[in-house]
Amino acid sequence: MLREGAMSVDYLAPADMAAALEMRGAGGTVLAGGTDLFPQHVGRPMTQPVIDIGGVQELRDIVDTPDAYRFGALARWADVADTDLPSCFDGLRAAAREVGSVQVQNSGTIGGNLCNASPAADGIPPLLSLDASVELTSTVGTRVLRLDEFLTGYRATALRPDELLTAVLVPRGPDGARSSFRKLGLRGYLVISVVMVAAVVAASSDGRITDVRLAVGACSPVAQRLPSLEAELVDRRIDDFDAAVIARHLGALTPIDDVRATAAYRFEAASVLVHRALQACGSER
Amino acid sequence: MTNVSVTVNGQSREADVEPRTLLVYFLRETLGLTGTNVGCDTSTCGSCTVLVDGESVKSCTMLAAQADGRDVTTIEAMAHGDTMHPIQDAFHRNHGLQCGYCTPGMVMAAASYLQENPTPTEEDVREALEGNLCRCTGYQNIVKSILDAAGSMSGAPETTRA
Ligand SMILES: Cc1cc2nc3c(=O)[nH]c(=O)nc-3n(C[C@H](O)[C@H](O)[C@H](O)COP(=O)(O)OP(=O)(O)OC[C@H]3O[C@@H](n4cnc5c(N)ncnc54)[C@H](O)[C@@H]3O)c2cc1C
Ligand code: FES
Ligand code: FES
Repeated sequence: MLREGAMSVDYLAPADMAAALEMRGAGGTVLAGGTDLFPQHVGRPMTQPVIDIGGVQELRDIVDTPDAYRFGALARWADVADTDLPSCFDGLRAAAREVGSVQVQNSGTIGGNLCNASPAADGIPPLLSLDASVELTSTVGTRVLRLDEFLTGYRATALRPDELLTAVLVPRGPDGARSSFRKLGLRGYLVISVVMVAAVVAASSDGRITDVRLAVGACSPVAQRLPSLEAELVDRRIDDFDAAVIARHLGALTPIDDVRATAAYRFEAASVLVHRALQACGSER
Repeated sequence: MTNVSVTVNGQSREADVEPRTLLVYFLRETLGLTGTNVGCDTSTCGSCTVLVDGESVKSCTMLAAQADGRDVTTIEAMAHGDTMHPIQDAFHRNHGLQCGYCTPGMVMAAASYLQENPTPTEEDVREALEGNLCRCTGYQNIVKSILDAAGSMSGAPETTRA
């Protein structure tokens, strides 16, 4: 049974960004919502000081800046779900409501989801489909990486041990673009994804696709965009194309057999979910 | 040791704790509030649900130190003397519990949800409870209890402090 926060080390609670960066520079494990960190450390004590960044207010906000929407790293999934955002964020907001349960959404943050970099992280496909970048900050400065550059492998990222992920930046997308998120799990609630798909679609007034971005999660060590399918779909009518085309463009996926599903099932499910995610962007026009 | 000062059920409580102390053990062992249960070690079951600043969280997935300066509400604050909270009363009348282990977490999750949505549908209630597991009841009577409580609470004066 989980007795304690599994650490016998210092607990640091910086009150502002400068202090947080200073402490991170000296070395320590970052604690945001703790919903990945605590379950992972049951029976595996932490060895570094724990830096609870929860008190750094400027990391909480979701703001609309001239070039991008800026999600502070500590924006919780409940905040993402409750914020009024343009329709291209509908997929991300739908994903927010699928992360664990209400309690998990009240604690878990967007930054924690990305830094934990699980292949099944529900936040990743929608953010890939939005061409998101991450802002990484240390005492020496700030750098911005595209999300696909930040995610380097299975639970691996380009985050340096002296850096904090400070924000997720989403550039302004095509006007009026619609988006969707489809998650398949083995039951309806509180479930780790078998496959999930995020889509962002912009279409002309006659229903032809002008811009489409698709990302598939849980079918490779890192969730992936589907560039060749995206290219193939441009100029087609969103409500009228041969769904068989989808399966021909899933070659980059490398799903595995595990306790939740076989690789073959995941391929099949990915194809079906891509179709459903596209249909969802086409409906209610 | 870390000094934490938390408002628990309206009273300010202060103690020096090991930094690694989880909120649930601060409540149960330091403060003796054993109504909040621990049912798993994977942050899954929700039996440890309490309200922090009015929102439901799993108190096994948070350090006591993270609650410093915040407002925590536990199951102990729900009844007033011998008068049960309408949600507790509805669980009682609708057989919303068998062994009762999950019940404090269910009641707290329901309390926070009904603040947000006082007139939920059955589907809404099932969705709101996705973070709370019950090994006994099959959920039917829990959902029924919460819908019943929603009925008796709507229009009634504010009863939860959260
Ligand atoms: C019951 C349960 C169900 C869940 N269901 C889902 C689900 O359906 N889908 C899903 O995607 N996830 C799920 N999760 C996982 C988790 O809730 C999410 O990944 C969440 O977004 C993690 O955020 P956090 O703030 O809690 O991260 P934390 O646990 O605080 O941190 C996670 C990791 O990121 C690091 N970190 C956090 N923030 C920063 C930062 N700003 N800079 C640098 N490093 C940082 C931490 O050091 C740690 O290594 C579930 C978890 C639980 C307990
Ligand atoms: S004890 Fe199971 S979720 Fe907290
Ligand atoms: S009543 Fe026994 S676990 Fe729910």
